[in-house]
Amino acid sequence: MLNYNSSLKEDKNYQGLTVREISPIMKLNLRGKSRDFLTTIGKNINMILPMEANTSSSSDNYTSMWLSPDEWMVLSNKIVDKENNNYDIEKLLFNKISKTKLGSVTDISDQFVMINLNGEKIFDLMSSGCPFDFSDFRLKVGSVTQTLLTHIDVIIHHKEANSVNLFVRRSFSEHLMSWINDSASRL
Amino acid sequence: MFIINCPYCGDRDQSEFKAGGEAHIERPKQPTELSDDEWAEYLFMRKNIKGDQFERWNHTHGCRKWFNMVRDTSNDEIKLIYKMGEKPPTK
Amino acid sequence: MPLNLRVKSSNFIDETTKVSFKFNGKTYHGFKGDTLASALLANNVHLVGRSFKYHRPRGIMTSGSEEPNAIVQVGNDKTITEPNVRATEIEIYEGLEATSQNCWPSVNFDIGGINNFLSPLLPAGFYYKTFMWPASFWEKYEYVIRHSAGLGKSPTKPDTDIYDHKYVHCDVLVIGAGISGIIAAKTAAQNGFKTLLLDEKNELGGTTIYQNSDNFKIDNKISSGWLSDQINELKKLDNLEIKTRTSVASFHGYNYLLARENLTDHLSKDEKKNKIRQRLLKIRAKKVIVATGSLERPLVFDNNDRPGIMLSSAIKKYADYYGVICGKKNIFFTNNDSAYESAISLFKKGINVQAIIDIREKSNSSIVKEAENLGIKIYWSHSVVDTHGYKKLKQISIMQLSKDGQSFGGLNKTILECDCLGMAGGWTPAVHLFTQSGGKLKFREEDQVFIPNKYPSKQISIGSCNGDFELDNIIKNSSNDVKKFLNIDKTDFDNLSVITSKEASKKNIWLLPSDKAIGKTKPFVDYQNDATAKDIKLALREGFRSIEHVKRYTTTGMGTDQGKLGNMHALGIIADTTGVKMGEVGTTTFRPPYTPLTFGTIVGRNVGEYFDAFRRTPMNDWHINNKAEFENVGQWKRAWYYPQNNETMHEAVQRESLATRESAGILDASTLGKIDIQGSDASEFLNRIYTNAWSKLGIGKCRYGLMLNEDGMVYDDGVTTRLSENHYIMTTTTGGAANVMAKLEDYLQTEWPELDVYLTSVTDHFATATIGGPNSKKILNKLIPDLDLSNENFPHMSFKEAQIGKIKCRIMRISFTGELSYEINIQANFGKSLWEKCIEAGKEFNITPYGTETMHLLRAEKGFIIVGQDTDGTMTPIDLQMDWIVSKKKYDFIGKRSLYRSDTMKEDRKQLVGLITDNPKEVLEEGAQIVSELNQSPVQMLGHVTSSYYSPNLNKSIALAVVRGGKNMIGKKLFVPMKNKSINITVVDPVFLDKENKRLNA
Repeated sequence: MLNYNSSLKEDKNYQGLTVREISPIMKLNLRGKSRDFLTTIGKNINMILPMEANTSSSSDNYTSMWLSPDEWMVLSNKIVDKENNNYDIEKLLFNKISKTKLGSVTDISDQFVMINLNGEKIFDLMSSGCPFDFSDFRLKVGSVTQTLLTHIDVIIHHKEANSVNLFVRRSFSEHLMSWINDSASRL
Repeated sequence: MFIINCPYCGDRDQSEFKAGGEAHIERPKQPTELSDDEWAEYLFMRKNIKGDQFERWNHTHGCRKWFNMVRDTSNDEIKLIYKMGEKPPTK
Repeated sequence: MPLNLRVKSSNFIDETTKVSFKFNGKTYHGFKGDTLASALLANNVHLVGRSFKYHRPRGIMTSGSEEPNAIVQVGNDKTITEPNVRATEIEIYEGLEATSQNCWPSVNFDIGGINNFLSPLLPAGFYYKTFMWPASFWEKYEYVIRHSAGLGKSPTKPDTDIYDHKYVHCDVLVIGAGISGIIAAKTAAQNGFKTLLLDEKNELGGTTIYQNSDNFKIDNKISSGWLSDQINELKKLDNLEIKTRTSVASFHGYNYLLARENLTDHLSKDEKKNKIRQRLLKIRAKKVIVATGSLERPLVFDNNDRPGIMLSSAIKKYADYYGVICGKKNIFFTNNDSAYESAISLFKKGINVQAIIDIREKSNSSIVKEAENLGIKIYWSHSVVDTHGYKKLKQISIMQLSKDGQSFGGLNKTILECDCLGMAGGWTPAVHLFTQSGGKLKFREEDQVFIPNKYPSKQISIGSCNGDFELDNIIKNSSNDVKKFLNIDKTDFDNLSVITSKEASKKNIWLLPSDKAIGKTKPFVDYQNDATAKDIKLALREGFRSIEHVKRYTTTGMGTDQGKLGNMHALGIIADTTGVKMGEVGTTTFRPPYTPLTFGTIVGRNVGEYFDAFRRTPMNDWHINNKAEFENVGQWKRAWYYPQNNETMHEAVQRESLATRESAGILDASTLGKIDIQGSDASEFLNRIYTNAWSKLGIGKCRYGLMLNEDGMVYDDGVTTRLSENHYIMTTTTGGAANVMAKLEDYLQTEWPELDVYLTSVTDHFATATIGGPNSKKILNKLIPDLDLSNENFPHMSFKEAQIGKIKCRIMRISFTGELSYEINIQANFGKSLWEKCIEAGKEFNITPYGTETMHLLRAEKGFIIVGQDTDGTMTPIDLQMDWIVSKKKYDFIGKRSLYRSDTMKEDRKQLVGLITDNPKEVLEEGAQIVSELNQSPVQMLGHVTSSYYSPNLNKSIALAVVRGGKNMIGKKLFVPMKNKSINITVVDPVFLDKENKRLNA
């Protein structure tokens, strides 16, 4: 009955760089501190949340990214159903974590737009607007960082060689995409 | 522009942080018991030292965690960074 | 046919590629690789500009970024022209057009030149002394000063060039690619450090790269050849990046540096197109090696500024590097050996060298001997006392110096013919970047130079910027210092055999003596600003002592070259005159940028669309398609109103407001901040941050909350809904969202870490459509037929979870307009579709989309405040007449104690009231002041209007205002004085419509 409209309208291709939104991706924000919190999450999504700062871990279905000592983002590896936003895993975790007072589970699927950058020019693009030093990050697949890109908060996940996922708040995504295109056209 | 060693995320550019004023000013547990002067002392009075200053900083554009910093205001040298809740070093 | 003064000896000029350019309207030719300066000199053009104050004819003095005179305007289109460009730095390109500055009508005939003859009337501090009286003339003076101030002309239109920024990270940054920079960069890169080498010139190698003398050999090779081999090896290294035409502008703490990379200024107009012109590099280096070299000093004597008087090293560079002859009869004037290098180099190229005037008694160095052997005439113990020739040097007068150098050994004056005089006053280490970074200097007495003392960060200075002036020392010390700095055992440069000419005697006189009274002389210290030694002495006589004061009073060092040439002389003259040691006089502060930056470089791409980030709601496209006007709210672009059929804003807002109260309206409220709160202490947390009580709020119920700062002032407001036992969703104002989130996290992390509460921002996750008005229930019912909307099941201030198809959503029955109203929150990617469905369902009820302006009007009718519009950080809830929301029972909440401070309890604080105008059609201006007496002097302001509208529903003008003691003034008549009239008003209760809340409970 309702139509799904992703934030960004088109994919872009440049010499050495492609830019595209991947959607719909389910994203959950998890917060908690206790050992129980960690083991409960682990058992239910079959993956250990990364405890090391600026890293991620993955299973067949999900990827989880470290955001803070008590905060993670878990996202679906594959796109989910456009017609339905009742996610079983959200319900399950909410019941096992939030209801049991172990922490919090919040659906943030549309809080962030996931932009995939692909190609050997990713870090050239980044250097035109991001103060973060990518020297180590680019050598390590799975790295995660939260920083600023053209003054906008972003989460950057080094998914695989020459492939990076950029998470930006939905309301900023159009502006960021426009900026990326402007920058990429001159790389 | 400092490089600030966030106790959680590591070395980051200052633009990712916000300064949050003097550290170790604890909110009184029983504000209603305080006189106007005592409350004003908590609310308004802050130090502005030439030399080692104890400050609060927040990694606003990173992990969003607050932490403490000892910074020499005469040359901007960051002498020490320690987590919230940890005791300040005695001089 | 213009002259072409070239010698065929340059490796750096491509004489096969001719480049034509225009200077002052005339076409000239140069070669690829020429700077504007070298090309002009090759065409025998020396006169290129006029000085700032006296409009004296000036020529090219230097060959680098320190040039004070040859400052030109580039481009002949006044809309995009660029002023203050150094002719010594512009590489010529086909189509270059440049003109002289600070002269009218032309550089050859400049009316301002009369100032030169008026100069006795224009001493230091002229402005301060002349324009002081009578005070009433100031506006006239200002007009004259503004028109004579400044060099060059600003472009009249926005810059069309493209600029960019780039963040760069490296292990080792080497600044300057002279011989020591090359040594450092090669060593660093060979040892695995990620290295970045920058140089402001277009070629690497500094001055050594054109040093073709047998007196300077490294490893048995002539130094230029040796260095050229090193550079070739260097370029092959993997982890080294080299950027030429890149000038470091500033060096900040924590090894953060800004540099300007010039990418297209040397290209022809066609080649420049669509390319980034300049790029600001924001560099973070783990270690910095400064190898910025040194600047040659001029000598200070009477009339030392005529076209044709240049730095000795510049004459050498023009000959050796550009193959350009600066003069047909050359004389050098020196206090050290470096003029001999220049003289010999010229001599060996067959260029005439008339003489060398040396203030020293003798020197026995190998290079001096060579000059003597070549038969170059040397006047020992002599000084130039005057120069002649107005637009071009013709002659100089010299006299023998006395033993102490302060006067003369006799009265004999010799006149020598020459058209070019090379001054060699010694070398000043370029310590600018070092001091910018916080480094302190020390003064070295023996050769009177300031050199780096203590490094404030992980950095070193090497080579002549560190005070090493002789080749063997430069190589030995540079490689040793780099080894130590980078913690490595050996370099390619250990134990190299070096042949150099050792300087045997030194003598320095900051202000050379004159046979005339100082008042009759013009010994220039700062060429661009026409500050002379005479001015400095005058300043000292008038009582100025601090170098910083003398600088500002005389304008010494305040030109675009920032005192690169003359500052040391100013210090020396002050020291000599006052009898203070030079090291104690100190230096002025070296401020960034080292060389001027264009505004474009500073701004980069942060212009136009990218000046600030903007935020859009999921419904944005619909608003655009329906011709909404937008308003900026923080970074958000919000629909402001939706004009139809050429409606004005007022007409649109009146229509939208009426339609909403009559039937139904719809607002995009997606921008409101939304924070998901979970945890067993969530209720306790809300108790502490809001003024009212939360523990007893039922599940599924909503409550309005007011958040204060610890000082008791209203900070934010919004509705929070209890979703389940330990789960709330809070809404904040649009503008306050980020700050509220940060503040709440602050309290949780620092004051109350014991609370089990987790916050997650979901502002962007939800799109929010608010439908309000008497028919909103019917519309919602069409949209979600299976939801029971009865007042019993879904009363005002409550919440329901629902599904539209398979899409879950949250509906709050809350109201900011005073109407029956539902706020539908849905996952953002369904927001646009939800909005369209609401419009479709509401069609039969004339559902009217309204923007922020109508929202503001509707809530003002109801007397609801907007934080930030009706409050300004000085309003307590009591001031707002919102005592009802402040819990008396709670022991504590943020800001509570401050509500009982003597100041916040005063009766005559500004308080929120309503206003109506005697004339119901008269709408007050927001911000207008309110008074009780019109004829008072001074008139006492009681407060001001914060919100004001014409209410179509009440058919009259209404306003909210803050008024001193307003609470007790209901019914009182006051005035709003305007420019040409005074408006009569009456204070009323701030709730204008439906005090009984019948509409929202309908």
